[in-house]
Amino acid sequence: MLIKCRLSVGKALKVGERWSELLEWPRDRNPQRRGGELEHKLPLAQEIDEMVEKFRNLSVTLYKTPAGRSIGGSPAYLSIRLSTSMPADLLTPPHLEKRLEAGERVLARFQVDLDQRLQFRKGLLVMTNRRLLYLEENQAGSTPFHEWRLADIGELSLEEMGATAALRLSLSGHAGGSHWRFTAGLVKEADTFVARFLEHQQALAGAAPSAEPESNTAPGEDDGLDFADLVPNPTHGNPLLRLLKFSRSWLRLIVLGLFLTIAATSASLLTPWITGRLVDTLLIPLQTKSHEIEWPQLLPYAAMLLGTAFVAWLLKWWRTFIVARIAELVTSRLRRELFEHLQRLSLIYFNKKRTGDLISRIGTDTDRLSLFISVNFIDFVCDMFQFAFTALILFKIHPLLAFAALGPVPLVAWLVKGVRGHLLGGFAASSRAWSLMTSVLSDTIPGVRVVKAFAQEQREIARFKQTDHHVFSTNDRVNRTWSFFSPMIEMFTDLGLLIIWVVGAMTVAHGSLTVGVLWCFVTYTTRFYGRLEAMSRFFAAAQRAAASAHRVFEVLDVEPDMPATAGTRRIGRLSGRIEFRDIKFRHGSRQIIRGINLDIAPGEMIGLVGPSGAGKTTLVNLACRFFDVSEGAIFVDGHDLRDIHVEDFRKNIGLVLQEPYLFFGTIGDNIAYGKPAATREEIIAAAKAARAHEFIMKLADGYDSMVGERGQQLSGGERQRISIARALLIDPAILILDEATSSVDTETEREIQRALDNLVHGRTTIAIAHRLGTLRLANRLVVLEDGRISEIGTHEQLLQTSGTYARLHQAMQEVSQA
Amino acid sequence: MNPPTAHFDLQRNAAGNLTFTDAAGTLHDNVLPLRLFPLTDPQHWVAITSATGQDLACIEDLAALPGPTRELLLEALAQRDFVPLILSIHAILRAAHGYEWHVTTDRGKTHFTVENDESIQPLAGGSIVVMDHRNTRYLIPDPTTLDLKSRQRLERYY
Repeated sequence: MLIKCRLSVGKALKVGERWSELLEWPRDRNPQRRGGELEHKLPLAQEIDEMVEKFRNLSVTLYKTPAGRSIGGSPAYLSIRLSTSMPADLLTPPHLEKRLEAGERVLARFQVDLDQRLQFRKGLLVMTNRRLLYLEENQAGSTPFHEWRLADIGELSLEEMGATAALRLSLSGHAGGSHWRFTAGLVKEADTFVARFLEHQQALAGAAPSAEPESNTAPGEDDGLDFADLVPNPTHGNPLLRLLKFSRSWLRLIVLGLFLTIAATSASLLTPWITGRLVDTLLIPLQTKSHEIEWPQLLPYAAMLLGTAFVAWLLKWWRTFIVARIAELVTSRLRRELFEHLQRLSLIYFNKKRTGDLISRIGTDTDRLSLFISVNFIDFVCDMFQFAFTALILFKIHPLLAFAALGPVPLVAWLVKGVRGHLLGGFAASSRAWSLMTSVLSDTIPGVRVVKAFAQEQREIARFKQTDHHVFSTNDRVNRTWSFFSPMIEMFTDLGLLIIWVVGAMTVAHGSLTVGVLWCFVTYTTRFYGRLEAMSRFFAAAQRAAASAHRVFEVLDVEPDMPATAGTRRIGRLSGRIEFRDIKFRHGSRQIIRGINLDIAPGEMIGLVGPSGAGKTTLVNLACRFFDVSEGAIFVDGHDLRDIHVEDFRKNIGLVLQEPYLFFGTIGDNIAYGKPAATREEIIAAAKAARAHEFIMKLADGYDSMVGERGQQLSGGERQRISIARALLIDPAILILDEATSSVDTETEREIQRALDNLVHGRTTIAIAHRLGTLRLANRLVVLEDGRISEIGTHEQLLQTSGTYARLHQAMQEVSQA
Repeated sequence: MNPPTAHFDLQRNAAGNLTFTDAAGTLHDNVLPLRLFPLTDPQHWVAITSATGQDLACIEDLAALPGPTRELLLEALAQRDFVPLILSIHAILRAAHGYEWHVTTDRGKTHFTVENDESIQPLAGGSIVVMDHRNTRYLIPDPTTLDLKSRQRLERYY
């Protein structure tokens, strides 16, 4: 279920009035009708707080509009999403209220989606101030009902069991209890429910029976706000209509194009009419020898024919050019917007997506749209006019004959309709097959070393062959459907013509029709069916374009989940104090960070150690704000990270990764990546400090040496030193080293180590490292285990406690000695 | 790694926990069976892990186990395993967050949201795995055995 309400500035509303109305349980099952828009004046932080408090167990989600998409010039509107799914009949308040005693209030709800045998069945757990209730959806329509007094409940605990989870209830005093199962996606809601229960239990134990549980929230507790989900924009519709809307900016050009189209079509339609007149007034009399040829009479016809041909050519030329330009303008903007949009999306999105698929959407799909707009669409408009005109002319010339000639049209329309759905599916499949093929390419080509090393060329050839065959077969199947069309329609044309010849011959014999008119009629009918055939082809093209447009808009519809623009506090250079306050992070159903508290002083260097999977990289990703914390908060120089303007913050961060990424370009450009305006002097100074200067000098082109996509001409250590120089150049206040020395040999490590010594000096540094050399400089070492800090202290202190670090250290030494 | 099945000793104790005695005779309480290939080969390769996540034993073929032990193991696996098999697709509707699939599975009727094309992936052997926005996995064991309407609906999105 999704309730979305929109708040914009200016219109006042009584507080609480429509909130409650809007947030009422939905009474119907139709999701479309559950939405609602709400005008409300800002600021309303307090009201939202109240509402969040009231519905906290539903995990209310607030989204701020990304800048640039504001309504009425105001930068802030909020979308409120209640993420839960409720069977309407089960959860309407009256149903629940019947079960409640006098003075009993609902404090929390949680909906489970499985029964104990793991079959899909919805049930609702409700906690009131007295009881825990369970209502189950039953096939017979009745709702089985269970209840437990809160005072009898010993423990309510959550257990994750792979793809599902269980909420276990045990009664105090005597054995017994119950348990509920649900899919792991609901763990977060369950967590909130349990937290609510514990809170209330504590309040009860605290001998304060009159205490309002709502007011008992622990200070600093997160109020359920969450920015971590991807939220596609709910504005959907026919993708082709959206494409039209998208081209609105060029309305004038489009109108001009349409005008030219109509004009060109009309001009070319004149020809048969003139020819018909020519036949009747000149040729037929000439043939029947009733007249001598009169050249002066022929001349105006010839001139008219020449004139219309010339005008038609001129108009068509302009039309084609203008329409092609519109197509290019629209698709160029689509490509640009797609790319800009992609740059705004967070890492979570890119982790989910395949590169090849994204490239094919930006490249191939927009190209198909361009072709569609410039060729198919305009042809279609043109055909529509011709179609209507010709039909009109035919009826004007001879209604009976026209009726006979157009007899097969309904049949064609019926055929088109029948095949349309078939084509759409086919084209969608073909687009996906294409992007699958691109994915295989973008997977295999960068991994070519691995392919060759394992001698798997044949396997990759086979894999490509398979996906290529998939492209072939999907296209082939679609082609089979629509190739059936053209000949079919040709047959109808012949059929129509046959009717005309028969009926026409009879009418000519009766003398009610001249040969010229019949000739003209035949020409128009041929054209008519020609247009019909072209239009049927258009349907195929439109389905293909719709599939492509859908893929393009699908990307554009993903709203930047990371509120990249939500933080508004502008900052300059930070001093570098970082505080992690009780942070938790959940990715999908996996809890990765389970509560970390850590203060890092400005200029301090922290070494992060721990087994892989402990959450080290996640922690630095959170510190860089690639993701947002699920619970708790990170403070930088005393400001909540979420309030700070992300770009401002990232300018303070230097990042050195295990696998340095060098862009295609010169070494100089790569070093200056974070500060394109850097002077040559700065670049050289950074390279010197990073110990990269010597080897760069030895290269034939020095700082102007080109490095490939991944800098393949350089060794791992050299690339790493360039990336260190890159981090050094922006002079960051906070430095993140993510296993910067892990992938190189000891000799190179020593070089990098010297480079790093320069880099960490005077900066707050968080270093993830397995090598002792890197950790030697750290002021404190933090040992992470299973998403928690298990040990903290200096190297010596930790060795003395002989805990995890001491073990890791011993292992590391054994490795380096061996 | 792969002890002879004769030594394979799995019991359920009075507290309802699974216990496992390894080849060396050590008793492990509250062990957890896990399928190693839950999607592509659920009937083979089941690992027994300790409560702390250590690997204790690995069974290649469930069919090779003595009857009662197999029953016990299957029962324990059934407590955790959750990969609904899609039997028929009633509708795939466009929703605010991707597509809403209405299906009948071997675990009853349900509906879920599929966010993007990547959530539908082919597996070796021709089956298709569908991942919903909450990371629950649904399996279509053999798309060719679906009814015609379901197949057509699937085709539009896969």
